[in-house]
Amino acid sequence: MIEDHRSPLHHGLDDLQAKIIRLAWTTGEVVTRSTNALLLSDLFEAQLIIDADDDTDLLSVEIEELCFELLVLQSPLARDLRLVVASMKINSDLERAADLMVNIAKATRRLHGTVIPPKLRGQIRLMGDEAAKLLRFSIDAYARQDGALGAAVRDIDDTLDRLHREFVSAIFESHAATDLGLQVAVQLALIGRFYERVGDHAVNVGEWAEFVADGHRPEHRGAVRAREKQRLAQAALDPMNTDAANNE
Amino acid sequence: MSFVDLTNQTASQSASYADSHAAVSPPVFELRDLSVFYSAFRAVRDVNITIERNQITAFIGPSGCGKTTVLRSLNRMNDLIEGARVDGDVLYHGIDIYGPDVSPTVVRRHIGMVFQKPNPFPKSIFENVAFGPRVNGVKKKADLEAIVERSLQGAALWDEVKDRLHTSGLGLSGGQQQRLCIARAIAVEPEVILMDEPCSALDPIATARVEELMQEIKSSYTIVIVTHNMQQAARTSDRTAFFTAEINPDSDRRTGILVEFDDTKKVFSNPSDERTENYVTGRFG
Repeated sequence: MIEDHRSPLHHGLDDLQAKIIRLAWTTGEVVTRSTNALLLSDLFEAQLIIDADDDTDLLSVEIEELCFELLVLQSPLARDLRLVVASMKINSDLERAADLMVNIAKATRRLHGTVIPPKLRGQIRLMGDEAAKLLRFSIDAYARQDGALGAAVRDIDDTLDRLHREFVSAIFESHAATDLGLQVAVQLALIGRFYERVGDHAVNVGEWAEFVADGHRPEHRGAVRAREKQRLAQAALDPMNTDAANNE
Repeated sequence: MSFVDLTNQTASQSASYADSHAAVSPPVFELRDLSVFYSAFRAVRDVNITIERNQITAFIGPSGCGKTTVLRSLNRMNDLIEGARVDGDVLYHGIDIYGPDVSPTVVRRHIGMVFQKPNPFPKSIFENVAFGPRVNGVKKKADLEAIVERSLQGAALWDEVKDRLHTSGLGLSGGQQQRLCIARAIAVEPEVILMDEPCSALDPIATARVEELMQEIKSSYTIVIVTHNMQQAARTSDRTAFFTAEINPDSDRRTGILVEFDDTKKVFSNPSDERTENYVTGRFG
């Protein structure tokens, strides 16, 4: 039998996970609600979403405080430490994702009275569903500490990226072919971008869930390139380095 | 003094040993299938560890897991206990320190030790540090003075005691006494310093001072430390060995085993073995 000798830490971690899941659930809900508000041009719902963002911000601040408190008072290690570090990062990603959806609620006001062409409406619906799905998968991976699912979110995000590209092309087409104004076109392009960004945040959440599960952080290509550049620069400065000498 | 000269061989013999091994220098310690017995009781079994030069290696684990026993086997301290014996090899630079020609006294000259409770001799600060070198044959006062100053400086104690070298070592604070013991250990110029919970009797400031000292001296020494304080192991060491105890099925005695030995960062952030994970996260089974 395993005895728990650090129950204050582990209760704190349970609380932390519950809060993160609540934040993720709220964010996922906001994705769906903002999409509906936009497509139904529901100004009342849009206002509710905008007002409720303060509560989301508060939850995010509470999560931050809890992480800091656990680090200071409980010195977590191993998986516990990974969980706290990952939760801090996931917290930021979810909070940003919720903000992006609030931007869509705000865009609902700006687009009020505009008729969005049916094709674009359909694409907005698809992007909204896809973004909500990605958030759901990523937080499932976190809650169940499922590294494989966390990593899979990265691949699944390809669909949302493709939808986003198609949406932008469709905006151009509509702008050229119909009387879709430039202002509306720009507003819609931004909305597409907001969904695409939510997908990227979900990918980050999935990657951090992977880190909690097995300690693995996927290498980011840019960072790998920069590290290799640093290594070469260092090697070039080292007079004993034969590789550098041979290269000259 | 060559560190492979454990049997008082002639200089040329040890030099030829060093030459022949220059290409691939063996690690400082290599423990192969080490078991330690106290009479019929096997206190720890099948330990395999390699300790490299100028590294700080930490042994962690619950009480009774054999970490101190393994530490004490590295300089034959267990020889002093009636009925203690080892099985397997403790190779020091490739030489079995339990070999028939090896003198335990010479082993301990190469491999010094600092204990849990500061234990200065009831003598002056100067004499505490000069004792070892004197036993080793240093006679000239000027030489001894140089060694004492160098050692006290090495242990970061010189500035605090230089004006009272001839007062009793027991008059120092606990933290100073522990640093005096470190100065005493390094006065004989060992290659390795074994530390058995060196900070468990010290306050946080004295602990920080000793930990800082470990970092300062690690470029000249190889350090192995047993600690119950996981944060200390994490802060100070390069490599960490986690030991635990298994209950023997035929008796209720517990035998220590090595569970995991890896880079310290790995052990505390992402250990490979579930037993290590449970221990460092406070879930003891």
